[in-house]
Amino acid sequence: MLLPWQQAIIDAFKAERIQLIAHVADSVLAPIIAALEADDAFTVVTLTREEEGVGLLSGAYLGGMRGALLLQTSGFGNTINAFGSLPLPYQIPFVVLHSQRGFLSEHNVVQVAGGRAVPAVIEALDIQEFVLDAADTAPDIAQRAVHHAFVARRPVVLTLSTRLTGGKRR
Amino acid sequence: MSTTTLPDRFDLTRDLLEVGRDALVVGGIGNATFDLFGAEDRDTNFYMMGSMGLAIPIALGLALAQPERSVVALEGDGSLLMNLGCLATVGQQAPENLTIVIWENAIWQLTGGQRLASAETCDLAAVAAACGISNVHRPRDRETFTSTVRHALDAPGPHVLCVPINPGPARASHHVDPIWLKHRFMRNLGIVPD
Repeated sequence: MLLPWQQAIIDAFKAERIQLIAHVADSVLAPIIAALEADDAFTVVTLTREEEGVGLLSGAYLGGMRGALLLQTSGFGNTINAFGSLPLPYQIPFVVLHSQRGFLSEHNVVQVAGGRAVPAVIEALDIQEFVLDAADTAPDIAQRAVHHAFVARRPVVLTLSTRLTGGKRR
Repeated sequence: MSTTTLPDRFDLTRDLLEVGRDALVVGGIGNATFDLFGAEDRDTNFYMMGSMGLAIPIALGLALAQPERSVVALEGDGSLLMNLGCLATVGQQAPENLTIVIWENAIWQLTGGQRLASAETCDLAAVAAACGISNVHRPRDRETFTSTVRHALDAPGPHVLCVPINPGPARASHHVDPIWLKHRFMRNLGIVPD
């Protein structure tokens, strides 16, 4: 059974006709990924590396299929050149559902530096980020942020704050 | 066989476009895209300008979105080495309409001819086969290449063609605007971009 904010994200994907989901391992995202896999409205692709998803979703968009990339903070760090050289200059929109690491509730020291750097990288790439940090506002923000990607004609990051998710369990 | 007698990427690209009149073709970064542009600039061509290693993921996404169309990725061996994992993803997804051509010159030609990690010790065709891609071909000359492309575009894939080429540079270059290219490509498919 999904929490309301988890279901709201899936509902937002459907409302915006997102069909292709690409993802790399993350325990906070796991229940959402399982629900997407069980839903015939979505094609779900397991990636070997997040950068691959930037290519996959860009190609799908060129063919008329909208998509979302599901990753965690460390994985965003694997994608910088891909974003800078493909969806941003070509104006190709998709949604990046980003599970935050390195913040409150973190238990692994090696996630902290990346957790500090990635928001600055997102900002430096001139990518808009919207944060889901409270259960009561999350559904509305999710709906509007997913819509915004296709208005802006570029990727939009939808960040799942550990204040909302509780972070990764040890 | 001396490398200078191996077929040329430009000639092979032209042969491929002749056989695949309706195929959607993704040109990988650098020489693969330059020779694609030079061979024939078509609305069905998508030119990469950066994103080394992503020609195959782009073509895979396109193949999933356009299951009725043949999709071809033209990728260099050096670029593929940056993202070998994508072959595992192709093996797992196994779209029937995807053909991958790997141009094998065993060097980074564009940056001065540095030898690749796959020059002597890594067999990319064997890697593709080990990733679960059952249709792996090694055409060695122009005639075999053309007949293999014809087969790959007709028979269910995915197909991987590992094609040795001579170490020469591309015969063309391109200058396109990426947003204009996106619009041209999508409108040709009858899609109005956001």
